[in-house]
Amino acid sequence: MQDPITPAHEPPYVRIRNLDKVYQSRRGPVPALAGISLDIRDHEFLSIVGPSGCGKSTLLKCVAGLADISAGTIEIDGRNVVAGTPENLGMVFQRDVLLDWRTVIDNILLPVEFRRQRKSEWTDRGSKLLELFGLRGYERRFPWELSGGQRQRVAICRALLTDPRLLLMDEPFGALDALTRDELNFELQRIWLETRKTILFITHSITEAVFLGDRVIVMSHHPGRIEETITVDIPRPRRLSVRETPAFGAYTAEIRTTFERLGIMKKEN
Amino acid sequence: MASRPKAADRPAASSLLATLWARSSRVRTVLTVLVATVIVWELVCRLLALPPILLPAPTLVFVDLMKSPDWILIHTGYTLFATLAGFALAVIIGIALAVGIVYSPLLERTLYTLLVAFNSLPKVALAPLFIIWLGTGMSPKIAIALVIAIFAIVIDMVLGLRSVDPDMLDLAKTCNASPLQTLMKIRFPNALPSLFAGMKVAISLALVGAIVGEFVAADRGLGYVILSAQGLFDTTRMFSGLVVLGVLGTILFFLIDLAERLMLPWHVSRRSEAAPAPRHTP
Repeated sequence: MQDPITPAHEPPYVRIRNLDKVYQSRRGPVPALAGISLDIRDHEFLSIVGPSGCGKSTLLKCVAGLADISAGTIEIDGRNVVAGTPENLGMVFQRDVLLDWRTVIDNILLPVEFRRQRKSEWTDRGSKLLELFGLRGYERRFPWELSGGQRQRVAICRALLTDPRLLLMDEPFGALDALTRDELNFELQRIWLETRKTILFITHSITEAVFLGDRVIVMSHHPGRIEETITVDIPRPRRLSVRETPAFGAYTAEIRTTFERLGIMKKEN
Repeated sequence: MASRPKAADRPAASSLLATLWARSSRVRTVLTVLVATVIVWELVCRLLALPPILLPAPTLVFVDLMKSPDWILIHTGYTLFATLAGFALAVIIGIALAVGIVYSPLLERTLYTLLVAFNSLPKVALAPLFIIWLGTGMSPKIAIALVIAIFAIVIDMVLGLRSVDPDMLDLAKTCNASPLQTLMKIRFPNALPSLFAGMKVAISLALVGAIVGEFVAADRGLGYVILSAQGLFDTTRMFSGLVVLGVLGTILFFLIDLAERLMLPWHVSRRSEAAPAPRHTP
């Protein structure tokens, strides 16, 4: 097993140390995350894979400053997250959370409206992002006129609008059909190769985690902790067909074995 | 729905009415049912030779209405004014209360609890009290319309303001949105479908309130028309008042429906896929 912490000579962009998160419920405290230590390097695509309820979404919320932490530290670019929400990060959720009453472009421009900046200065960038996702000319459409995949593309455009260094993605393709999901996996890789954002990508799909990630962090549940860190040594750009190669299969098999060992997945006879 | 593309192909010269007729099967259904009801009503009156004091035939009601249309119109105007004034106040005050209740835990515990408790009281019973407080003019009618209508607004608006996707609020937080921005850009527009549902109920209730006020003490308005006709055993005149009330209520309801269609095309389009039946009827 590799260490999820990077060597000292390379300062990470996100630095998490000994993170605990305990929820208070009526039946007493429930530990959600225990002893999470990990680094995300600048420009890295880091996947986190784990069963539902392993606290991976909680971890992402902690990084975004949306949830309190019980112990430990999270630093983004050397600044402690507890002090407040990080200045500039993009967030994508499983549901696209587009505002139905706004056009596509107005949805994308929402973050700059919240930051009280001039919308007109960002319109061109919004259109360019749409073009990047194959949605040229969709500016004046409404979300209800789009397919699920298109809506999620718009949500990603919205997250990328202000050019954040860090992109947090919480099972962004989990609600899509398999074909659309493949398509968006490939697109996301392409856009990541063009923009080189630092991406924290949460999924419960082993295949997706390996296909997209530079590294894959495997989590177990009750409480959520890091079980394994795998560096995916497959050259980019990865084609979808890479998933049928033995090298790819070795990575997914390794993760599956970990889940089986933990009792998260049943062993096949 | 199926006739839509066909209607769009028609030349633009065709009259608006004909286009509407062709487009909306719903309008056609409503009209057919109404016309059929009137015919059956007329037939029942004639075939059973019912005395007009029990049930006047529609033709008699029509003749009565045509006897003094100006007079009816003036009284309708009074009732309409009380209804709309009460409704408008209910919407303005109701929205303000709902925002307060959603944002202030103190208001939620005190005011909302009080409102819900107060709601179980039949507001009609308050009418005599309002007459003592506000006299016999227009203001008690507006007040009763307001009090009856406001609950639907507050309760639906609170529901709408609260039913925001938590992810949406998280997104706003990561963009450092202020509470006011979250209210104006997310919560409020998100609550509009709920508000309209509440308004559709409230407009009908406001009309009830205005009529109740006129029943208790008035010398004008449709409530007065009906009540004074009852004193004279002029059943036909009572029916005239009822028919105008029915038409008024229906028009008001559909005006709100129309406003919803114009203002919330995103919601209406989704609703028509999911549930064709309206939640409330007048």
